Amino acid sequence: MLSYLSKRLAMGLATILVATVAVTLLIHLVPGDPVQIMYAQSQGTTPEQLEEIRARLGLDQPIAVQYVQYLGRLLQGDMGVTIRGQQPVADLLMARLPNTLLLAFSAMAIAVAIGLPAGFWAASRRGTWVDSAVMMTAIAGVSIPHFWLGLVLMFWFAVDLGWLPVAGGGPLALVLPAMTLGLSNAAIVARMTRSSMIDVMEQDFVRTANAKGLPKAMVQSRHVLRSGLIPVVTMMGLQFTYMMGGAIVVENIFAWNGIGRLAIEAIFQRDYPVIQGFILVFATTVVVVMFLLDLVYALLDPRIRRS
Amino acid sequence: MTANRLRQLGLGAVLGCAAASPLAAKDIVWARYGDIDTLDPHRATSTLSLQVWSLIYDTLLATDATGAPVPNLAESWEVSEDGLRYTFHLAEGVMCHDGTPLDANDVKYTVERAFDAQNPSVTQASWGPITAAEAVDPLTVKLTLSSPFVALIPFLADSFSSILCDTNAEAEGFGTSAAIGSGPWMLDSWTKGDRIVLSRNPAYVNHGKLAENPGAPYMDRLVVTTVPEPQTRLAGLKTGAIQIAEPPLDDVPALQESGELKIAIAENTGQNVFWEFALHRAPFDDQRVREAVARATDVDTALMLIYGDLSIPEQCPISRGVFGNDQEFCAAHRAQYDPEAAKALLAEAGGWGPDNPLEVNMLVWTGGKRDRLAEVFQAQLAEVGIKANIQMMDIGTMNARVRQENETPDGIGSMDMMTWSWYDPDILYALWHSPGAYRGYTSPELDAMLEKTRVLADPDERKAAVEDVMAYLLDKSIHVPLYTPGWEWVFAVRPEVEGFHVAPFVYPVFNDVKF
Repeated sequence: MLSYLSKRLAMGLATILVATVAVTLLIHLVPGDPVQIMYAQSQGTTPEQLEEIRARLGLDQPIAVQYVQYLGRLLQGDMGVTIRGQQPVADLLMARLPNTLLLAFSAMAIAVAIGLPAGFWAASRRGTWVDSAVMMTAIAGVSIPHFWLGLVLMFWFAVDLGWLPVAGGGPLALVLPAMTLGLSNAAIVARMTRSSMIDVMEQDFVRTANAKGLPKAMVQSRHVLRSGLIPVVTMMGLQFTYMMGGAIVVENIFAWNGIGRLAIEAIFQRDYPVIQGFILVFATTVVVVMFLLDLVYALLDPRIRRS
Repeated sequence: MTANRLRQLGLGAVLGCAAASPLAAKDIVWARYGDIDTLDPHRATSTLSLQVWSLIYDTLLATDATGAPVPNLAESWEVSEDGLRYTFHLAEGVMCHDGTPLDANDVKYTVERAFDAQNPSVTQASWGPITAAEAVDPLTVKLTLSSPFVALIPFLADSFSSILCDTNAEAEGFGTSAAIGSGPWMLDSWTKGDRIVLSRNPAYVNHGKLAENPGAPYMDRLVVTTVPEPQTRLAGLKTGAIQIAEPPLDDVPALQESGELKIAIAENTGQNVFWEFALHRAPFDDQRVREAVARATDVDTALMLIYGDLSIPEQCPISRGVFGNDQEFCAAHRAQYDPEAAKALLAEAGGWGPDNPLEVNMLVWTGGKRDRLAEVFQAQLAEVGIKANIQMMDIGTMNARVRQENETPDGIGSMDMMTWSWYDPDILYALWHSPGAYRGYTSPELDAMLEKTRVLADPDERKAAVEDVMAYLLDKSIHVPLYTPGWEWVFAVRPEVEGFHVAPFVYPVFNDVKF
C-alpha cells in the first residue's frame, strides 16, 4: 500500500515538472512576445527601448536560461511577478484557484447527484423504456456544448425568470455556472455508471448472489453497486480534471473569477510568469486529485490495498 | 445539534452572500470585456487600464470635444522660445484623495517616478526628452527638455500622464490596493479579474474635463466589472444588474430599434484602421499594386454592410480627434474607390486580372466583426483580380507576424488590416520613422519629414509638416486609411441612466451620470 502510494507520488511530481517544461517551450513557440503586445496599437516607444524593457524582464535570455532561473526562484517559493502590471503571480493565482475549485466541485456534485442514480436506474431497468429515455437524455446532454447551454440557462433563469444573477461572485451566482458544467458531465457519469453496472450484473458472483436467494435490493447495493463504482470513480477523477479545464469556457460566460480566465488572458498577452504559474498550479491540482482518487480506489478495492 | 449547526451555517452563508455582493441599488455598474493591468499608470498601456486611471487620477491638461488640449489641473502654461522649458501654473485648492493638497511637488514626484533610472514608466518615451522637473513654488512647476518635443502637450492631457499624489510613495500596495489621485472617483477596492469599486470624491472640482457637472459625481459609487462574454453583458443590461456595457455588435440594430437600451458611440477616438503592406518584396514593393488595393476597396459599402452607422470612413492616416486630421486634404491624396482603375493598375504591374489573379495573404485581427468586414473586402479585391487569403489572429500574434513579413525577403505578398490609436500625429513617427514599428517602410526623405513634426512649436507650421507626411504616405499608398472608430467604441446604456458620455480617445465620463 505504502509503496503503491509513494510510487504514485513520485509519478505525480514528474508529471508536474514535465508539464511546466513543455508549457515553457510551447508558449515561446507562439509568435509575439509580451513586450511587443503590451505596446501594441498605442505606443510611440522606440525599438531600442523595447529591447531595454526585454532585458530588464530577462526576456532577452535563451529560453533554457529563463526556465532554469524560473525554477531557481520557484524553489525559493517565488513565482515571479506579472509582466503586465508587475504584480506577484502567486497572489493572483491563489486568489482565483479557490473559485475554480469551488465551481468544479459543485459541478462534480451535481454531475454525481444526477448521473449516478440515473445510470444505476437505467442499468437495473435495462432494455425498458426507462433505460432508453435515460440514455437518450444522456446523449443529448453530452452533445450540448457548454457555451450554448450556459447562455440558454442564463437567459431563462436570470433574464426571463429573474431568479438568479446573470454573473459575478457569491453563492447565488455559482448556481448557473455549476449547473452548466454539471449537467453535461452528469450525462457522462450516467452513461459510464450504466455500462459499468451492466458489466457487473453479468458477473458470476452476482448470479450466485441472486441464486442463493438474496433480496434484489441487497444484491444491487452490496454487490453490484460497490464493484460497479470502481471504474466510475476512476472516470470521475479524469472528469474532474476535464471540468477544471472546461471551467475555462464556463468562467468566461458567467464572468466567474476563476483561474481559467486568468490563464486565457495571460496567454493572449504572453504573460509568461502567469502562464507558467497557472500550469504549475493546475498540474499540481490535477496530480493531487488523482492521488486522492488513488486513495479512494484503494479503499474501495481490497485487491489494490493488499498489493 | 447538527440541525442547529446547519442552520447557523445557512445563516452564515446568507450573510456571507450579502457581504460578497456589495452592489447597492444605486451603484453605477459598468461592465467591460477585460480588467485593468494595474492601478499604477507607469506600469501598463492598455485602454482598459487608461480608462480607469482617468477616473481616479487627474491630468495637468484635458481634451475638449474635438480632442484638442485645454487647461485642467494646470490653469495655464508657458513654453520658452527654444521649446525646451515648460512652466505650468496649477489650480489652487485641489485635494488628493487622502486629504493632502495637490501641488507642484506631486507633479515633480510623478515626472521623476516616470523617469526613475531603475524602473522608469513603460511610456517614458512618450513624455519626451525631459531632463528635470522643478517645483518653483507650490503652484508652479517647470519641466526642462533636452530637445524640443511638441507632443508633450497632448500627452499631458492623456491618462498616461496621470498626476500621482506623492503620498503614494509611502502607500502600501500602490498599484494593487492603493491609488491616491485627485480625480472624481476614489478607489475602494480592486479584486483583479472581477471588479474595481470606486466611490465619489466629494472634494472633486472639475477644472477642465469634459463634463457639465462642476463638482463631485452625482452617484455614490461606480463599480467597474469584468464580464468577458458579450451576451452575458447584454443579459446583465437587460436585468438591470449592469447599467453600461459594450453590447454584442450584432444586437445593436435590434436594440436601437426596440429602444430597450440606449446606444452611445464614442467619437474622436483617434482609432485608425488601415491597410499596410510588406513593402520590401514583390508585389507590394510596387506602388501600382498598393494603389490597386486602395482603389479596389469600397469602404463606404463595406462599413454600411457590417457596421451600419456605427463607424465611418476615414481619409487620413491619423483619425478624427487628432491634431492635423483634415478629411478634405487627405481625400485629395488617398487613392479613392475606382475598380476599373484598379484593374488597369494590376494589368500594367504584372498582367494580373480577374482571370489571372494575384494571390496575397490578408492578416486581420479577430473580434469586433472584423472577420466579416474582411470577407467583404476580400470579395471586392477578387473583383479586380486579387485573391486575398484571410488569416485571422489575435493582435499580439498579428503584430509579430507583420514584423516577420517585413523582414522576410520572399514569399507571397502580405497585406494587413492594422489598427492603431494615439492622441497625437506623433503616431506616424512611431509607425513609419526608421526602423519603423514593424520594420516596414523606411526612407531618409520621410524620416526627415517626420522629425520636423516633432519639433515645430507653431501650430500652423506643425500642421503643414504633418500634412506633408500624410500626403507622402497617401500618395504612395503606404498607409491606406479605411475607417474609424474600430474597437470597443459602442456602449449600451440602460434607458433610465442619464448623463453618460464618452470623451475623445474613448474615455467614458461618469461625472454627469444620474438615474
